[in-house]
Amino acid sequence: MTVMAASSQLPAASQRDVVLWAEGLSKRFGGLLAVQNVSFSQYDGEILAVIGPNGAGKTTLLNLLSGVYRPSSGRLHLLGRDVTAEPMEARCHAGLGRAFQIVRPFPEMTVHENVTVGALFGKPGVSLAQARERAYDLLERTGLAAHADKEAHELTLLQDKRLEVARALATGPRVLLLDEVMAGLRPGEAQEAVELVRSVRDSGVSVLFIEHIMPVVRDLADRVVVMDQGQVIAEGTYHEVTANPQVVAAYLGTEEGLHA
Amino acid sequence: MEGRALDGSRAVVRRPDVPLRSLLPLGLFFLLALAFPFLPLGERAEYLMQIAFFTLVAGVLALSWDILARSGQVSLAHAAFYGLGAYGFALLGKVMPWFLAMPAAALLAGLISLVLGAVTMRLSGMYFAIATLAFTEVVRTIIQNLPEGAAGGANGLLVPALLGGNARAQYFLAFGILLLTALVSLAIRRSRLHHAFAAIRQGEETARVLGVSVVKYKLLAFFISSVLAALGGVLYAGKTFFINPLETFSLANSIAPLTTSIFGGLYTTLGPILGATVLRVAEEVLHNAIKNGYLVVYGLVLMLSILWLPRGLMGLLRRGKRGGDV
Amino acid sequence: MELFFQTLLNGLLQSGLYALVASGLALAVGVVGIVNFAHGEFLMIGAFLAWALSTFLGVDPLVSLPFAALAVFGVGALTYRVSIRHVLLAPELNQMLLTFGLGILLQNLALIWLGGNTRTVTTPYQGSSLSLGELSVGGPKAVAFGLAVLILVALYGVLYRTTLGRQMRAVAQNRRGSQLIGIDVDRVYLLAFGLSCALAAVAGVLVATLLFASPTVGLVFALKAFAIIVMAGLGNLTGVLWASVVLGVSEALVQTYVPGGGGWSDAVFFLLIFVTLVYRSYRGAR
Repeated sequence: MTVMAASSQLPAASQRDVVLWAEGLSKRFGGLLAVQNVSFSQYDGEILAVIGPNGAGKTTLLNLLSGVYRPSSGRLHLLGRDVTAEPMEARCHAGLGRAFQIVRPFPEMTVHENVTVGALFGKPGVSLAQARERAYDLLERTGLAAHADKEAHELTLLQDKRLEVARALATGPRVLLLDEVMAGLRPGEAQEAVELVRSVRDSGVSVLFIEHIMPVVRDLADRVVVMDQGQVIAEGTYHEVTANPQVVAAYLGTEEGLHA
Repeated sequence: MEGRALDGSRAVVRRPDVPLRSLLPLGLFFLLALAFPFLPLGERAEYLMQIAFFTLVAGVLALSWDILARSGQVSLAHAAFYGLGAYGFALLGKVMPWFLAMPAAALLAGLISLVLGAVTMRLSGMYFAIATLAFTEVVRTIIQNLPEGAAGGANGLLVPALLGGNARAQYFLAFGILLLTALVSLAIRRSRLHHAFAAIRQGEETARVLGVSVVKYKLLAFFISSVLAALGGVLYAGKTFFINPLETFSLANSIAPLTTSIFGGLYTTLGPILGATVLRVAEEVLHNAIKNGYLVVYGLVLMLSILWLPRGLMGLLRRGKRGGDV
Repeated sequence: MELFFQTLLNGLLQSGLYALVASGLALAVGVVGIVNFAHGEFLMIGAFLAWALSTFLGVDPLVSLPFAALAVFGVGALTYRVSIRHVLLAPELNQMLLTFGLGILLQNLALIWLGGNTRTVTTPYQGSSLSLGELSVGGPKAVAFGLAVLILVALYGVLYRTTLGRQMRAVAQNRRGSQLIGIDVDRVYLLAFGLSCALAAVAGVLVATLLFASPTVGLVFALKAFAIIVMAGLGNLTGVLWASVVLGVSEALVQTYVPGGGGWSDAVFFLLIFVTLVYRSYRGAR
């Protein structure tokens, strides 16, 4: 079964807890409606993928979720709290983490210092010593401990992506937004990254990710939201959405095939 | 750095932010500065003491500027806060004893800096620089155009001499203020402020995504920096007896700390102090040789530093080493 | 009412000079991508050239104008070659500080060489004035405004009608693309920066006839030019014209209608910078 455009009703209470609930989000840039009335919810412990052809509005949606943009209309709820009007740092404190597609390490800091920033400011009341410890734990978990003292620019791309994830995790998120973390990775590396995302989920963090590489979506996602031209056109399991004629049509209309 | 953790060691967690060994040169500087008045200075003692005094003031100004720059705010408004300190002291000194007027003037400048900081919050790079430059000009214009009874107008203002004009006591007061500034700088380096400032400087949006309250820390940087700069202004006013808007709010007072920090080494404690010592002495030597335009040294040093000495004197001292900016 | 129109006219006349200074600055920002904090010092050089030619050779500033422009064009091109060019790829901050250092250097070299005194240039039309009905205009002001308009028309003619101008605008819009279609970007930068400095020098010659020449005369004009290009949007050449009028007229209004306005009008540009920057940054807030 495929749900055509998610309903804006909060899903039934019988289901697992909703951690993130987007309610009719829209974003207008001048005359362009980049994101149009997008609604979906994410459940606790779920890995949710947002896919769609280029220009579907996925990255804009992610920017709305993390607070880079304010929505033109609609609301966003995080862990039952309305965060629509809250700035990025407040959303972080409330439990939202984000890793960028193009890695953005702080260039003049070591790997360990980079992660320390996330651990120190992600939640109020963390002391510097605690943040350092926590940062190192995360470096161990993400396989970067051996590089703690290097500067970020000395890392490989995969390591940079691990750093990006480690830093976001350091803020102690309940929901982690990942923007095409697989982009630019070789197949073997992508597999490692998939394992990393799984381990993140297993540690109790819900993950929402944008991805182009369909096998990765198939392997990782519990549920998939498909966007096209700023709207949600389908939602369901990987197999449900890939069988959906509207989704197939959206992808066929572009040069990238669905099974690219 | 010495004692750099072996890769993969948890030692990285507990390594001190400021290794003790790197404090040595800084301690040495303050020891020398403390001993200076007791050296046999000969006939020119009075003159040398005066140069030394203004070197300390230049150090306060440069280091306080650097603290603001650490948060990514490269300001051209330092003259404004230096001047506000000087004027605040001159005016408040009429109604209260100097040891109250001094912190009061500094606090006043600090509060005004919060206004500028709030307005320029979202500006960066050249926009920020232009706005802060303009701010200085306007503070000067306001003071110049207030009724003469209020702040002396364009003619200037007499200031009660600090510590009865005792040169040695004034020197130790300046020494104390520079020491205070250095201690504040080191304390910041060891605290969460350092991480907040560095993160904002190196990527403001990323910092916000990681939960850094950018507004709070940017304003805090402005406040700390301006209070210290204003203390420098108090020293200047109390030493010179007489202040006027043109000299006190001169662009030179914004340029000197900026050039000094860049030349000495940005985002360090020792760098700006070292830079101030070298440049202030160079300025003095030049000033003796030529009456006008001795500030040429700042222009030249700034250009050369940007083109050839990107990490300043500190970069030369610690070539090939990394981290541990003191 | 007459006072009001006289005020408007004064403001408008002043804005011609502002537009000249700001166009040069906008050219450097827009084409080369450099905010030139030394722009006022190139203006100062122009002012001193006019003074020197007038005092020592008896050349009328209007005649010395093209020479000053040419000479400062050369100084600007040289500056580009030995310094600006090396920081084109450096962080914006380094570029800014470099030109800032250059400004301090030039200003203090002038102080060393010529001292801090102001020097005036006398012209035959100094005391003359034009009257337009009830309104009157000082001769030098009218001449300066006329020249400024003429030069601006020529500048925009060059930018929109010649190959070089088209190349400059192409580079301003897209550096990479311009390189790909075979434009010698380095040469365009050199010419644009030189031209920018030459425009400042021309303004400097006019400043010498209207006010005086001194080592620090450039600063306040540079600040106002910053205000103008900030209002117009960095690098927006056509916006410079109306922004100059806004600044010139607001200053004139403050001068006329605010008590003690002569002193306060110097702060108008600051207010305009602030209002614009703050408005823009908060509107741009996403």
